[in-house]
Amino acid sequence: MQQQSRGWEVITGWLADKELKPFRFQEDAWKAYQQGHSGIVNAPTGFGKTFSLFLGALIAWIDAHPKDYQRKQKNGLQLLWVTPLRALAKDLGRAMEEVILELGISWQVGIRSGDTPLAARAAQKKQMPEVLIITPESLHLLLAQKEYPQVFKHLQAVVVDEWHELIGSKRGVMVELALSRLRGLLTQEGRPPLKTWGISATIGNLDEALEVLLGPYHSNGIIIRTNLKKNIQLQSVIPHEMENYPWAGHLGTKMLPQALPIIEDSQTTLIFTNTRSQSEIWYQSLLREEPMLAGALALHHGSIDMELRIWVEEALHNGILKAVVCTASLDLGVDFRPVNSVIQVGSPKGVARLLQRAGRSGHQPGAVSKIFFLPTHALELVEAAALKTAMEEEVIESRMPVLLAYDVLLQYLMTLAVSDGFHAPQIFEEVRQTYCYQHLTEEEWKWILSFLTTGGDALAVYDEFKKLERQGDYYYCKSRMLAMRHRLHIGTIVSDAMLKVKFMSGGYIGVIEEGFISRLQPGDSFTLAGRNLEFVLIKDMTVLVRKSNAKRTIVPSYQGGRIPLSANLGRMLRRKFNEALSRKTKDPELLALQPLFRLQEELSHIPKDDELLIEKIDTKDGYHLFVYPFEGRLVHQVMAALLAYRLSRIQPITFSIAMNDYGFELLSDQPVPLTTENAKTLFSADNLLTELQTSVNATETARRKFRDIAVIAGLIFQGYPGKHKANRHLQSSSSLLFNVFSDYDPQNLLLKQAFNEAFFYEMEEVRLRETLERIARSSIVITHPQKLTPFCFPIKVDSLRDTMTSEKLEDRIRKLIAVNS
Amino acid sequence: MSEVFYFQEQHWHLLPDRAIFWEEERALILSDLHLGKATHFRKAGIAVPAGITSEDLFRLQQLITRYMPVRIIIVGDMFHSRENNEVQYFRIWRNQFSHISFDLVKGNHDIMPEEVYGQLQISTWPSLTIRGIHFIHEPCEEHNGYQYTFSGHLHPAVIMAGPARQRLRLPCFYFGLHCGILPAFGHFTGSATLDPSPDEPVFVIAGKSIIRTQ
Repeated sequence: MQQQSRGWEVITGWLADKELKPFRFQEDAWKAYQQGHSGIVNAPTGFGKTFSLFLGALIAWIDAHPKDYQRKQKNGLQLLWVTPLRALAKDLGRAMEEVILELGISWQVGIRSGDTPLAARAAQKKQMPEVLIITPESLHLLLAQKEYPQVFKHLQAVVVDEWHELIGSKRGVMVELALSRLRGLLTQEGRPPLKTWGISATIGNLDEALEVLLGPYHSNGIIIRTNLKKNIQLQSVIPHEMENYPWAGHLGTKMLPQALPIIEDSQTTLIFTNTRSQSEIWYQSLLREEPMLAGALALHHGSIDMELRIWVEEALHNGILKAVVCTASLDLGVDFRPVNSVIQVGSPKGVARLLQRAGRSGHQPGAVSKIFFLPTHALELVEAAALKTAMEEEVIESRMPVLLAYDVLLQYLMTLAVSDGFHAPQIFEEVRQTYCYQHLTEEEWKWILSFLTTGGDALAVYDEFKKLERQGDYYYCKSRMLAMRHRLHIGTIVSDAMLKVKFMSGGYIGVIEEGFISRLQPGDSFTLAGRNLEFVLIKDMTVLVRKSNAKRTIVPSYQGGRIPLSANLGRMLRRKFNEALSRKTKDPELLALQPLFRLQEELSHIPKDDELLIEKIDTKDGYHLFVYPFEGRLVHQVMAALLAYRLSRIQPITFSIAMNDYGFELLSDQPVPLTTENAKTLFSADNLLTELQTSVNATETARRKFRDIAVIAGLIFQGYPGKHKANRHLQSSSSLLFNVFSDYDPQNLLLKQAFNEAFFYEMEEVRLRETLERIARSSIVITHPQKLTPFCFPIKVDSLRDTMTSEKLEDRIRKLIAVNS
Repeated sequence: MSEVFYFQEQHWHLLPDRAIFWEEERALILSDLHLGKATHFRKAGIAVPAGITSEDLFRLQQLITRYMPVRIIIVGDMFHSRENNEVQYFRIWRNQFSHISFDLVKGNHDIMPEEVYGQLQISTWPSLTIRGIHFIHEPCEEHNGYQYTFSGHLHPAVIMAGPARQRLRLPCFYFGLHCGILPAFGHFTGSATLDPSPDEPVFVIAGKSIIRTQ
C-alpha cells in the first residue's frame, strides 16, 4: 500500500512521538496528495487544516528522497502557499518551521507580501526557499519579474488557504490567473501536472469552489470533508427597553451598557462591527462609558497602520487585551487562544460570516464558540432569529465566483508583458481554462489586446498611445517607466483610491478614502485609528494632519461597508415574519418584538408568506412608496430600478430610490401611479432583460462600480509612492472617466463590466426572476398608513440614494427653481 | 438656446456650449479647454478614448461659424500639458481661422515654451483688460480695482435640491460680486461645486439650454 511509504512512516511516527493521532480527514488528504490528486480540504478552523496539506507535501518530499530527505538543501521552490491575509503569513510560517526543524529537514520557509523587506526579496531571488507563503498580489508580482519561469522550476504544488474568502472576489480571479500560468509553464516544460489544493470553510457551493480552483475542465479533483463540527451558541442581547428601542440606525451604541457585562465576564472579547466607521465609534464610546478599559481596549480594521495591527494581534495572543473592536479584518486567521467570547454588533448578514466570527472564540477542538448578537435597531432581532434557525438547519450561503472580470485580465496581461512578454494564442488558451474566463470570446480577447496596444478604437492617425508593443503574436512592454508603474500598481487591486494619513511631524496613522477627504475643509476634525485628527492639507497623495482637541469629529464612512443579505437568510427572514404573525413563536427575539409587530399591524399590515406588502405614505418630503420583498439589498436595488423605470413610462416622473435588506422605497414629488389594478403588471417578469438593461443604465450604481474597475485596469494614475512630485497632469477621477467613456466609447468592455457588476451577476438576475415569479403567485396588499411604520422607517432614513427620471432635464430644473424661490 | 445677459453695461450671450459671446467686442470667451489631455494620458499608457480634443475643436469651429467673432479670448488652461500630436492637430485646425486672433490668458496648465504659442499664432498674456473688463485665470476673491473680472480654473458646477430628495448637479456660469467664473469648455474635465450666495446670478447648462437659477 502506498501509505506505508517512507514519508508516511516518518510523519506518523513524528506525530506519535508527540502523542498525536491524525484526524481521519488529514489522512485522507495525505493519501489523495500521494496519489497526485488536486482538490479542496473542507474543515472548520482549529482542526489542523494546515497540517492536512503541509504534512502531505512533506510526505511526498520524503517519498521522493527517502535516503537524503533531511540533508538535501537549496532545492528551489517546492510549495507555494497562497494566503489572503498578510497577517496570517507570519504565524503560519512559524508553525511550518517548527515542523521542519523537528523532522530535521533542511527546508527554508519564506514569506512574500507587501511587507517583505527589500533585502529578504533579494535573498529570495538568489535562492528561493522551499516553501513560500504569499498573497495573491505578491504572486502576480513574481510573474512580473524578468525570467519568472526560473522561480517555479521545481514547483510541485500550490495550496490556497481560506479559499472561501477569495472565491467571491477579484483577488480570487488573480489566483485563478496565476494558477493558469503555472499550469501552462509545467505543461510547456513537460513536467508532471501541478497539484493544486484549496482549504475552505463550509460554503454552500463547495463543488463550484473546486471548479473555480482547478478550472472547469479538471478531471482529478476531489473534496475532502470532515464531519467534525464546531459547537456554536448564538445569543441575542435583547434591549432592556424594547418599547423605546430605535426603529432605525446602524451604530448600536445604545446597547453599549449591555455589552459591558459580557466583556467583564470574559477573558478576552472580540467586538465585530460591520464597518470601519462603526468600529471607530464603538471604540470611542466604550472608552467614554468605561474609562477603566483604557490600555486594555484596542481597535483593529483595514485602514489602520500595519504595524499597529500586528501589535494588536500579538497583544491578543499574549492575552493582555480585554477587548478588541474590529471589522472583517479579524474574520480570518490563526487562533487567539485568550478570546473566549465574541460580540457581533448589527446583523452579520449571512450565516457563513456569523459562523466564521463565532469561530474566533473557543478555538480549541471541542470548545464551545459563544457569540452575542447586539441589534442596532429593533427589526434586526428578526434577523438574529433567522440566523439562529439557519445555523441549526445548516443552511449556508454560497460564494459566487466572479465572472469575466476584464479589468483583472487587463492587469494580468500587463503583468506578463512587463516581465518576459507573452504569446497571445498560448495565453488565450490558458486563460480560457479558468472558471472566470471560460466564456471569454475571441472578439473580447481581441478587444483586450487592442486596448493594450492601440488604446482601443484609435482611428486618428496622430495618436500616440503607448503601452504594449507587438511582434506578430508576441506582446511585450518596452517602456521601463510603464513597467515600473505597473509593478507598483499591482498591489492596489483591493483598495479604492486610498490616501495615506500622516502627522505633519511624520508618523504614519493609516489610510483613508479619497472621497471622504475631498469633502473636508482644512481645519475639520475626523477620527481614524481611534484618534481625533485635524485635517491640514493633501500633498503628494498623502493627507497631512495634526492632533485635534475638537469635541465633535467626523467619522469617515467607508464605501463597501454595506453587506447585502444573502438569499438564504432572506428566505429564513420571511419565514420568521410568518412565525411572528402566527403568534406561536418561541424565539425570544420574536417575542421581544411583539409590541413592534402589533404597531406594524395596527398602522399597516404584516405580510404573510404569499403576500407582497406595499405601503403608500405621504409626508412633507413627498409621496413615498415602500415595497417589501425581503430579498436582500442587491435584489431590491435592481427591483427598485426596474419598478421606477416602469412607473416612469406611465408619466414623466422623478424618483429618489433607497433600499435595505427588507424592502425599498421610491420617493417622488408627485403621487406615484401605482394602483391595485396595475400592480401585478408592474411586477411582471415579462421583457425582464431588456427593461432591466435600460433601467439600470439610467442609475448611478454602475458609475460607483466603475471606480474599482478603473483602478484595477490601470486607468487611474496613483502616483509613485515616496516620489514627491505626483504627476498632476495625469490625474483624473473615475467618475470623469466614466463620463468620457460613456460619451466617446460606449462599447468599451470596462463599461460593460461595470453594468454587469452592478446588476447582472448571474445570481442576482436569477434571484430577481424568482422573486418576480413569487410575487406573481402572491397577492399584493397595498396599505395607506397615516404615519411612518416600523417597517418603512429604516429605509426612509437611509441616505445612500439613487435617482431615476423620465422628466426632461429643463423641466426638472424649472420645478426646482420654482420650489426654491 | 443661448441666453443674453445684460451685465456691466455689456451684452453677454451665454452659450450652452460652455462659452460666452461678447457682443460689443465680437469676441468668444472660453476657459479651460485642456486640449491634448486625452493624448497626454494615452502617451502614458492610459487608454482614455482618443478624439476628445477634435470633438472639442469641432464645437469651437461651429461656434466660430455661427457668431463670426473677430477674436477669441481664452481664460487659461487652453492646453493640458506639454506639446503632443494634438497640439499639431490644433495647428492645422488653426489655419482655417488665421484672420481671428487668439488671446490666451495663461493658466497653470499652459506650460509650453513661448515659441510654440507663437507658432500657433496665439498671443499670450498674464492677464488682459478690455473695456474695463479684466480677464485672469484664477478667480479673485476681493475687489481688485477693475470694473469686473472673468476667470476660469474652477470648472464650476452647482447643486440644485428640491422636495422628495431631488438633487441635480450641473455645470454653470457664475457671476460673483467682483468676479465671474466660466464653465470648462473641454469635455475631458471634471467640475467643482460652488455654493453661491442667493443674490449672485447663476446660469446652469442643461443640455442645449441655459437656465438662470437665481
